[in-house]
Amino acid sequence: MDVDAVVLGSGLTESIAAAALSKAGYKVAHLDVNPYYGGDNASLTADELVSWADERAAAGPSNPSYASAQRTKFTSISRSGSTLPQSRQYSISLSPAIIPSVGPLIDALIASGVSRYGGFKLLEKVAIYTGPGSVKPVPGSKEDVFKSKELSLLDKRRLMRFLMFAAGDFEGKKEFEGKEHTPFVQFLHQVFSLDGQTAAAIAYALAFCVSAAEPTLPALQRIRKYLRSTGRYGPSPFLVGHYGGLGEIAQGFCRTAAVSGAAYILAHNVFSIEIPSQSEEGRKYKIILEGLDESLTCDLLIASSGYPLPEFPRAVTNDSTDNESSNIHPIARAIVVVDRPLSFSSPEVPPASTASDAEGADTEEEEQTPQKQELDTALLVFPPSSLEGGSSVAVASVLVTGEGSISAPKGKWVLYLSLPLLEQTTRSAEALLRPYVDATLSLTVPDSASPTSTQPLFTLFYIEHPDLPPSSSAASESQIPSILAPLRSSTLLPEQADSATTNAETLFWKAVSALKAAGRRPKRRTGEGEEEGEEEVEVEGFWPPLDIVDDPEEDW
Amino acid sequence: MADGASGSAERSVQVKLVLLGEAAVGKSSVVLRFVSNEFQANKEPTIGAAFLTQKCRLEDRVLRYEIWDTAGQERFHSLAPMYYRNAQAAVVVYDVTKASSLEKAKTWVKELQRQANPNIVIALAGNKVDLVQSSTAPAAAATSESEDEADDATATPGEAPASGESDSLRQVPREEAEAYAQEAGLLFFETSAKTGEGIVELFTEIAKKIPIDQILASSRGGAGRPGAAGARAGAQEGVNLEENAAKSKDSCNC
Repeated sequence: MDVDAVVLGSGLTESIAAAALSKAGYKVAHLDVNPYYGGDNASLTADELVSWADERAAAGPSNPSYASAQRTKFTSISRSGSTLPQSRQYSISLSPAIIPSVGPLIDALIASGVSRYGGFKLLEKVAIYTGPGSVKPVPGSKEDVFKSKELSLLDKRRLMRFLMFAAGDFEGKKEFEGKEHTPFVQFLHQVFSLDGQTAAAIAYALAFCVSAAEPTLPALQRIRKYLRSTGRYGPSPFLVGHYGGLGEIAQGFCRTAAVSGAAYILAHNVFSIEIPSQSEEGRKYKIILEGLDESLTCDLLIASSGYPLPEFPRAVTNDSTDNESSNIHPIARAIVVVDRPLSFSSPEVPPASTASDAEGADTEEEEQTPQKQELDTALLVFPPSSLEGGSSVAVASVLVTGEGSISAPKGKWVLYLSLPLLEQTTRSAEALLRPYVDATLSLTVPDSASPTSTQPLFTLFYIEHPDLPPSSSAASESQIPSILAPLRSSTLLPEQADSATTNAETLFWKAVSALKAAGRRPKRRTGEGEEEGEEEVEVEGFWPPLDIVDDPEEDW
Repeated sequence: MADGASGSAERSVQVKLVLLGEAAVGKSSVVLRFVSNEFQANKEPTIGAAFLTQKCRLEDRVLRYEIWDTAGQERFHSLAPMYYRNAQAAVVVYDVTKASSLEKAKTWVKELQRQANPNIVIALAGNKVDLVQSSTAPAAAATSESEDEADDATATPGEAPASGESDSLRQVPREEAEAYAQEAGLLFFETSAKTGEGIVELFTEIAKKIPIDQILASSRGGAGRPGAAGARAGAQEGVNLEENAAKSKDSCNC
């Protein structure tokens, strides 16, 4: 098979880049060594997840191979012995994410037409853990602040003032001057007199800071983005993807690539890469796959860092290194399946216990109509030091997804716990996360029939390490590289998808220059039937304009 | 999107139909014949449409097929689970002049039974039957409304049809395939995308077997969703990125 570009790995970044290249008119072959789409962003059935974990937990040779790179990336793996019935009704994500309603991924989904393949659900609620059995909802908008019964009047005023500031162009404001590197929690205290639970809610559940030390500028930028996302699709700024989120979205981009002519080969590994002599082919690389007679020839190779190619140093696509820096830590993760829903309205704790001033408490007291208690899709944030046995520096989060996001069977919920490891530790993922699992399970809705504590149906613990930056050779810097690797994406729950998309666009433009340097131009099919042909076209954007097709609303 | 026809008196039901079958058996041609009543002899392998839509009128109801082509992803066994999701119908195509293509079709049927919605309606279609008929020409049968909304669907090249056809080209006896279909609980048709034979019948019979009432109930029922293999489970709560995107654009304009 002769193509312009071969893409190794079908994670979200690579899949978006493959779709963009294919839609632009380049010939693409897209490979993954796994029998499923999505790579480290995949969404798996329950049985696939068990095999995924067992393969990575097993010992094996440490030769440069995909398998050994995976064993280095995913460590400290332990799982419960049980397996889940109805395995196929689960879509369990290896990279749980929430997606801001305004941002690069949503733009790319719409511009590429991939949005029609996927479904989304609004995140119902964000709450912050405040003590044993007690959680507080996080106000996500001015309306929430106004209606809150938890906040004192003074706090409401301060919070309103802060939200107005953060939603606007804060860069030029005097409050911000010289403070961009100030730790954000300190900034909230100094400038807006926000402290305690309110400051914690802002820093950890609105800005998604991973620790109190995070600087102000990126935190404010995130808050502004999320505030501007509010209301686009509903009251929450965040969407959760159906069928496990990012893995399904990656599949959608792959299908779009295929519809534009890209070839897809799963479950095959690269056997060797050769540089053919000048006389042959005219392509730069010849790729031979294990178990496939047909070889691939191409001018450009895009390989995610999970695919070690020791003889072929890759150029990382970083124009700006700042993207790379923060928010890339090892993460302790747990995946827990339960058969009782969570509730964030803890009825046994008297409400408004914080109301220190006269006003707040009584006026709305009657409206105690319990809102829908059971949560389908929600996020719980544990600030540092909020939990005995938990981390005193880092923030843990729990994303809950249930039947509503079509990622679990009826009556089952998948909890994704993650805790960034900001300092080195020798403790296992299970030891690090067990206290958080227990605290979360204590928030499940009690079952009147059997009032025992909730036991998980399945647990998996592991530590995910950041990809090693691929080796890049100094020599290749001077010329336009023809082997590219995508940048690592942010691991923050609400940033990962957008960061992957931004990285994919950078990768796309690098690929376009590399192919141009190799004398390859994209071609698009023209005409129909007899007049059909191909013509060379220019690449004008990340996505070409969408054809107007079969919109069901069209006929009225 | 779920209720595109809410304005009209007719209740239009959207049905996702997926195509499967070995390369070059004529999957895309079958659809092209159905959707735009066309046939193109030698064309590139499938490139182009995300999916095609075609209405199928059925007594008092209108069914709107959303037809998904494999986009070549079946070639290296790389069809995504997304392809099968929520499919209410599947057409598994083989080539009557190629015995191996029926074997391949059987593996696709197994794959569907493993991956797809348990209530999926599966039809087996033995295509290229024009190649094994002596001189019959059962006129273009397509009576469906041609609602040509697609970008372009294309046909795989296939073996160049020899003009002097005879039954000797046939490698899959009708009886054999029919017996298999009956045993496996599939609808069965022999078709010719070239002449149109069997095509409309194929899609009409599938339409008759689709549990339309269940789909209507699950996609519109405001209250709880019915347990029955809900077509678009939880769709009521879903978010349509494009619709709302358009809205927000509008609101910017004013």
